Amino acid sequence: MSHAYKTVILARMGEIALKGLNRGKFERQLMSNMRWRLKEFGAFTIIQSQSRIWIEPKDPESDLLEDKQTAQEVLKAVTQVFGLVSASLVWKFEGTTIDDIKQYALMLTDDILSEHDYKTFKVESKRGNKRFPMASPEIAADVGEAILIAHEELSVDVHQPDFVIYVEVRESMYVYSEKLEGHRGLPVGTAGKGMLLLSGGIDSPVAGYMMASRGMQLEAIYFHSYPYTSERALEKVKDLARIVSQYSGTILLHVCNFTDIQLNLYKNSPQDMLTITMRRIMFEIAEEVAKKQECKCLITGESLGQVASQTIEAIQITNEVVKTMPVFRPLIGTDKEETCNISRRIGAFETSILPYEDCCTVFVAKHPKTHPQKKHIIEAESKLDIEALVKQGVEGIETYKIERTPRG
Amino acid sequence: MSIYFDNSATTKPLPEVARLVYETLSSEEEYGNPGSLHRLGVMAEKKLNDDTDRIAKCLSCKRDELFFTSCGSESVNTSILGYIRQNPRAGKKIISTKTEHKASLESFARLEKEGCEICYIPVDIHGQPDLAALEAAIDDQTALLSFTHVNNETGAILPLEKIVQIRNKKNRNTKIHLDCVQSLGKLPISLSRMGVDMASFSGHKIHALKGFGLLYIKSGVRVQPLIIGGGQQRGMRSGTQSPYLVSAFAMALEEATKNLPENLERMTSLRDEFAAKLEELGVTIISPKDALPYVLNVSFPSFQSETMLHCLEEKEIYVSTVSACSSKSKAVSYVLSEMGVKLELARNAVRFSFCRMNTKEEMDQTIAAISEIYEKYKV
Repeated sequence: MSHAYKTVILARMGEIALKGLNRGKFERQLMSNMRWRLKEFGAFTIIQSQSRIWIEPKDPESDLLEDKQTAQEVLKAVTQVFGLVSASLVWKFEGTTIDDIKQYALMLTDDILSEHDYKTFKVESKRGNKRFPMASPEIAADVGEAILIAHEELSVDVHQPDFVIYVEVRESMYVYSEKLEGHRGLPVGTAGKGMLLLSGGIDSPVAGYMMASRGMQLEAIYFHSYPYTSERALEKVKDLARIVSQYSGTILLHVCNFTDIQLNLYKNSPQDMLTITMRRIMFEIAEEVAKKQECKCLITGESLGQVASQTIEAIQITNEVVKTMPVFRPLIGTDKEETCNISRRIGAFETSILPYEDCCTVFVAKHPKTHPQKKHIIEAESKLDIEALVKQGVEGIETYKIERTPRG
Repeated sequence: MSIYFDNSATTKPLPEVARLVYETLSSEEEYGNPGSLHRLGVMAEKKLNDDTDRIAKCLSCKRDELFFTSCGSESVNTSILGYIRQNPRAGKKIISTKTEHKASLESFARLEKEGCEICYIPVDIHGQPDLAALEAAIDDQTALLSFTHVNNETGAILPLEKIVQIRNKKNRNTKIHLDCVQSLGKLPISLSRMGVDMASFSGHKIHALKGFGLLYIKSGVRVQPLIIGGGQQRGMRSGTQSPYLVSAFAMALEEATKNLPENLERMTSLRDEFAAKLEELGVTIISPKDALPYVLNVSFPSFQSETMLHCLEEKEIYVSTVSACSSKSKAVSYVLSEMGVKLELARNAVRFSFCRMNTKEEMDQTIAAISEIYEKYKV
């Protein structure tokens, strides 16, 4: 008997399957995003069949996915493409009989048991090729029996098995076991473009990730106040954008040199309103840049009540300066712990908690107004030439193209 | 021209050192392994021995008491870990302070896990260890005293002579390790007369090269090696020696030693003048008055350490902040907190560290730059 199997990847689409007439558009975008995401690893053939996507190396001789480490990396990259519920590494082989299936199912079982101390299993089977003489339940029973005979230490548990052996009979035959969960959502590129206000903290990268998971393409704006914050803080923001770009695709990062504006605010507006006036100007600059870049919304990482500038009054008063587009705050009702969990899951947390972020918070008042009113802001901005400051901010912008690092 | 006042972090290699490195590395004859039996090896070994003798002469010790390592930290690790592990009967107690460099503190932490007792004696606001506490702490179980000759953050100078006297009075078997990384080339060091048993040095702090450390172990003191292998350097530190790093160090050390007292005197008056001008600008001097003049730790009111660092950087003046900059944990330098420096001072601390090539003009320019920064950025 031969041992010639080939490792391929099977990915499963999620929400897209529920789409109606425009389903094709979503699927095409997903396929295109997948091709883009996998480019760094090599050439792949990506074929869609109903709600599933089959990915194999283009060159039939390639052993790209036969190295376990590389295969896992490719699999992880696949799951980072929004629109998928899960993906698996699958052994594909050419066979005609139930004995062929048993042979590979046993090899896979050995492979699993060499790494895990599992005690129970079950077999699930699907038959797409109806010319195969046995029905799915019969295949599963036969394969299960073969595994039980070979491994006396194992027993079957159909409810909560330690592992599952999946068998599929199509033109070719397939066995696999583990499913890696995808990030779900909708393919990036199906919901326009948004401008993310990106800081060096935990929240804003997560907010960007969440909007991207609804299909939105991202650009980002960062307010840099060197020498009050260091060059390293900027590098950190670029790193965070790079992490988000693994999911969202290329991000244009607009860096606004904010120091002079901040100094101006500091000298010409009252201490306790400083955070609010500063955020209002940031929003206005962000809106200007967003319009120029054809973004259809602003995105922030605000969460209600988290800090002084995120009380409902403060949010209302900063929100009102944005006149031409919605401001999305996907974390508004999320608590910090939950946000941290998502941050960890997308691999941003370790970078977010590096200390450079706001280490030089000279501009933060000791007791900012937590419930600012309209009259306060009118008074606070009376000595400011807002239009000129916004113009100054927009003109001083430098833009960087942020792409995921190869094999990131 | 930029102004470099971060010489405690590292120094610029001397031009003659750079030349020497280039010439040695491009030579057709000088690349031999000092352990090889052929002519190239013998040449390398001879050169290495000659250079070691030059170093020994500068430090007044014997050639056989010197070992080459990869950095100051390796020398410190080897001394502390190696002495204690090699001499279990010498006792399990080590006495030091909490203002040591991390290379020492982490070595102590490791030994504490291995069953040692570490006794940290308090340090006062001038960075001086409490000698009465030291005297009380030394007992017949005390294997090692380990101290820093000059503190890297404040320039505070250790009262070594008194410490040696106390050791001699209380327990002559107790050994002393001295971290000389910051004092080398700036204070006179005469190993045979100082009463220390082990000492650690680094190359790149004296205008030689990074990747080079020196370890002094007095004859008769037994230390377990950290790096084992081919048995180079009499088994004390395996790994092929790097003759060009040694030559570079010998050259830089001779240069530093040449006019040491004159340089020290000159730097003292420059530092005093600089400190006085800073005080006129409202700056608080944290370094003790009698500190090594090459290090000046100060606190700028209303400027957090890192802000001032970047403001100066903008004017091509390079200094250092040793505080871990994090507004969340409000972490400041552990050395300053240990000395009892107030939190609001420590948070704004900046270290100027000089070398003998620095000039009065550079200091004046820095004062002018600071005035401008106050004008523009003070909030």
